[in-house]
Amino acid sequence: MTIKSTLRRLWPYIQQHALPFWGGMAGLLIARLFEAAIPFLMKQGIDALASPDTPSLNEISNTLGPIALIIVLCVTAQIVVTIFSRILIRRTGVIVAADMRHKLYDHLQKQGPIFFAQYPVGDLMARAINDITRVRELIAGTSRTTMVLIFTATVGLSFMTLLSWQLTLAVMLPAPLITYFAHVYAQRIYLASQRTQEGFADLSTFVQQNLNGIRTVQAMAQEHREIEKFASRNQAFADDNIALFKDSSAIGAIMPVIAAISTMIIIGYGSHLYQAGTISLGTFTAFFSYLALLLWPIREAGSIVTQWQRGASGTARVFEILDHPPEIVDQPNPTHPKLTGSIEFKQVSYRFPNKDQYAIEALSFSVPAGKTLAVVGRVGSGKSTLLRLLVRMLEPEQGEILLDQTPIRAYPLPYLRKNVCLVLQDPFLFADSLGGNIAYDDPDRSQEAILTSAQAAALNSTIEAFPEGLDTVLGERGVTLSGGQKQRAALARGIIRMSPLLILDDCFSAVDTETEEHILTELKLLRAGLTTLMVSNRVSTARHADEILVLDEGKQVAFGTHEVLMTQQGLYRDLAHAQQMTEEGPQ
Amino acid sequence: MTAKKQQSPIDPRQPALRDHGVFDAEISYKAPTLSEFVRLLAWAIPHRQQALYSLILVLFASFLAILLPVIVSRVIIDGLLIQDATLTMPDLGMSSLVASISDRLGLSVLASALLLYGILTLVCHSAYHLHRITLARTVMFALRDLRLALFSHIERLPSTFFDKVAVGRVMTRVTNDVQALFDMLMGIGMLIGEFVPFLIALGLMLAISAELTGYLLIAIPVFAVLTYFFRMATRIVYRQIRTSVSQLNQNLQENLSGIQVVQLSNRERRNLATYQAINDRNQRQEITAVSMETGYGAFMDNMVNMALAAILWIGGGEVIQAQISLGSLILFTQFVDMFIRPIRVLGQQYNVIFRAMASAERIFQALDWDEQLHEPTHPLPLPPRFRGKVEFRDLSFGYEPGLPVIKHFSLTIAPGEKVAIVGPTGSGKSTLIRLLSRSYDFNRNSIFIDDLDLTDLSSDAVRDRIGVVLQDFHIFAGTVLENIQLGDPRISRAAAEQAAAWVNADQFINALPEGFDTLLNERGQNLSQGQRQLLAFARVLVRDPEILILDEATASIDTETEQTIQTALQQLTRGRTSILIAHRLQTIQEADRIVVLKRGELKEVGSHEALMASRGIYYTLNQLQFQTLETLS
Repeated sequence: MTIKSTLRRLWPYIQQHALPFWGGMAGLLIARLFEAAIPFLMKQGIDALASPDTPSLNEISNTLGPIALIIVLCVTAQIVVTIFSRILIRRTGVIVAADMRHKLYDHLQKQGPIFFAQYPVGDLMARAINDITRVRELIAGTSRTTMVLIFTATVGLSFMTLLSWQLTLAVMLPAPLITYFAHVYAQRIYLASQRTQEGFADLSTFVQQNLNGIRTVQAMAQEHREIEKFASRNQAFADDNIALFKDSSAIGAIMPVIAAISTMIIIGYGSHLYQAGTISLGTFTAFFSYLALLLWPIREAGSIVTQWQRGASGTARVFEILDHPPEIVDQPNPTHPKLTGSIEFKQVSYRFPNKDQYAIEALSFSVPAGKTLAVVGRVGSGKSTLLRLLVRMLEPEQGEILLDQTPIRAYPLPYLRKNVCLVLQDPFLFADSLGGNIAYDDPDRSQEAILTSAQAAALNSTIEAFPEGLDTVLGERGVTLSGGQKQRAALARGIIRMSPLLILDDCFSAVDTETEEHILTELKLLRAGLTTLMVSNRVSTARHADEILVLDEGKQVAFGTHEVLMTQQGLYRDLAHAQQMTEEGPQ
Repeated sequence: MTAKKQQSPIDPRQPALRDHGVFDAEISYKAPTLSEFVRLLAWAIPHRQQALYSLILVLFASFLAILLPVIVSRVIIDGLLIQDATLTMPDLGMSSLVASISDRLGLSVLASALLLYGILTLVCHSAYHLHRITLARTVMFALRDLRLALFSHIERLPSTFFDKVAVGRVMTRVTNDVQALFDMLMGIGMLIGEFVPFLIALGLMLAISAELTGYLLIAIPVFAVLTYFFRMATRIVYRQIRTSVSQLNQNLQENLSGIQVVQLSNRERRNLATYQAINDRNQRQEITAVSMETGYGAFMDNMVNMALAAILWIGGGEVIQAQISLGSLILFTQFVDMFIRPIRVLGQQYNVIFRAMASAERIFQALDWDEQLHEPTHPLPLPPRFRGKVEFRDLSFGYEPGLPVIKHFSLTIAPGEKVAIVGPTGSGKSTLIRLLSRSYDFNRNSIFIDDLDLTDLSSDAVRDRIGVVLQDFHIFAGTVLENIQLGDPRISRAAAEQAAAWVNADQFINALPEGFDTLLNERGQNLSQGQRQLLAFARVLVRDPEILILDEATASIDTETEQTIQTALQQLTRGRTSILIAHRLQTIQEADRIVVLKRGELKEVGSHEALMASRGIYYTLNQLQFQTLETLS
């Protein structure tokens, strides 16, 4: 992103706070005027002191008194105005950052699985943390510094020219040299600091990977080798740091040396002008102060480019996400009828982006309200894709999915997801209490409802085992549940909603069959009259369903009741036989 | 500092109760204590030469830095411009030095002064530059050593430690915490560079005018007190900000990790509101902090200007009364900056030091953690090769006292026998193999290899003779070849390639862009589950261990790869004692014996046929648990 397009994107955000932002900028200009007036006033004082006709003490006091008073006033005014202006601008930066964070969070929640496959969580976190911080720096720091730079240079040079244009010209001779070095070193330092940041990331990744695999490392007696590898990375990181430090120290040494050239010009040419009577002693000393004032903007001019570049890249990375359109968009005029949960697939096909093969191909079937359908198929047969289509996490490429005879696209997304509940295979639990996790969709649910669904999901003994029961906190800072317990908790989270359509995506894989039987029986009772769809690998599970859909490579290969399917040759019967076979022993 | 080897083994049945919770505690701010500070500085002792150079250089540079304004004020202004020779103000011999240069080189006084000024500037800033570099070297090398020591220490902590402490908590100690010390140590080093000119300037200023200096000195405690109160106030705000920022990040991270559940539960609006509440709080705190910082910063920035106004006011009178020269007054104004800088820098360092000391405490806590496996004082020598007999003799074990995971387990495995262990989750299968690979301490007389008590052998030696394939194949940063060799010089490239061929891993390896020299990315994302399994086999096979332990991966693998893996597994187990935690029917069926474990107890032992016939637990498990889908077709 160029600096210009960065500004264009950020403009609306800044303009929302136009008054404080531009007011602050105006204040900074005024503060610079006060600041530059101080050496000018000092000059008056020194000239009074140095005047050859030594006046009486009284006269001097009369002259110096008001000057000192005005200086004090200027300093005070400068401080007050600077403080207020800076706060106004930095505040704008903070608020814009908060606005953006809010917008980003909102936007991310609207994204679908394709988006999240493209952007890993770590990447998104980096954008939300580091890149928004860069945007804030750009608004509160870089743009402010740029303005101050321009103001200081303009005001300072004006005062200097007012005092002596000859000396001003002479003093400014080394300025290009300073800007050149500043620019060169800003680039070098930027690159070097990127290298150290990469080095740090490298080091962190190495330690993390190593500790994650510590069991293997120790089991294979690889500790010493890993330590050696770490040592070389550690050394490289130290070297990179020192190299970075060398560069920043070098520019810190070069700058005062070049500035000393200007000082020598003031001394040499200035004292010549003084002796020639062109300038007063006060002017001579004032130039030292102005030089100090100007040195900063000249020096910063080089690094400001890098700062803008950094800010622009951060802004671009934030907007890359904000510009990403949500995959699923509601249609206008949505409907909200009461739903019973009957499903119909009409020639539905789906292909993942950049894939030739269909994940689901021309699939047609229907499930009447209140019935249970089992979906059976091998890994990669399209079972999970089918389920995701039903909750509009994915949109079919062709065909139509009807829920209660209405295309699911006609329902608003929140309404659809309220009525269709999908329990995922991978049970993700939040770092919240167990009860809070079960009642995740609506924290106001009663304790009773939570316990009923926990009972159905065979989680009650788990809850009873914890001294704090439903209030037991899960996650890193709390209790870690076993795979089976997690799966049952996720199941309870789905059951509690009593949605017209419940979809279970292989939710029993970590649950033993005895418990599974119990849960299925409970579900049958609880969900009498409601529609249920479940994916399973086990014939013993599928048998519980009213009808069974057998998928292979995205296509329907069989559909019917267990009894009917058992009479037909095909995948289902093979499967059942294979499972039977293991019951009776091999061959 | 490092863990001492335990001489007398503690009864492992009662593991020392350690509070691993200290690793979760968030210490973010801590007052420095002298002992910790000294301990930290001790890491710089090996690099004391650099430190000494740094100190000498800064003293030298500071002295020159003082001379520069003296030349301008005393030599040029007093001596040349107003030719005020009436007063004998200190000039540190600069006037006579300039005069002698002028004599020897035949230059004018002005030219000589300029020449001296130029040379001194160059030398001064070069010295400062070298001072900063030597300082950075000292600090960076000390921290490098510290970081390496810390990593080496953590690397050797036993499994009991990693069972309890989250990886992330340990990781940040090696990375972020050590880095936090850099800022503090550099800051302190630089502070020395600020204080030396401060003291020289103070001496000179006293010599010029004790009265003026006295006024300035009054200002110091005022600024110090102001700074102190300011830091106290900001400390609270910064603590609040740290909390709200980490809440923001945690909230976002969790929300993104569980985004599907969030969306499927219609929680978007509620979660956004929660996030926004934290965001708002954070925004208010940030604005408070920004306002305070800005106010204080502007005040400190302008201290020099305020002091200048005071000096002109008071000092002006003294010039008139001919007590000090005009040049000296100007010199005085120039010194004010040198005088005030260290105070400002000290103020800036305040937060850094408190934060860094918290990091130091975390580092030392980890470094002092002396948890370890109990090694025998005099380990028994190992035979050149085990026959491979493994015996469990009434083995009982628990990770926590009072919670046994393995109960009275006895089993003898003949050399070359292939045993599959099956049982429901939590039955103790994994624990059993972890004990055999000596990852934990357990009672004497419990496990024997070739009739040698495992607790009498050194754990490293045992691990060298036992090949372990864990469920999750860990990829080490490096090439495919390096991942098979693992830096063992005894394993040639040819041997590694041969091993890969035996387990049929060569096909996919040769298909990789650079074959055996392909760099594997750290999580092995460029390899499929099945390929990683094969690579793990090759890694173990090439070491030709007498005993093989395998925790079979449960993940779904496509049929073709499944077949390849089964063939490879047959290769791997041939001729060596194999203990397999099996999840796949075929693996189990090919075992000589099957051991059924339930709640830590051995329930059934026998061949597949025998167990099926007896219709016990194995029969039920088999019927219910094994997913035959993947092995089909």
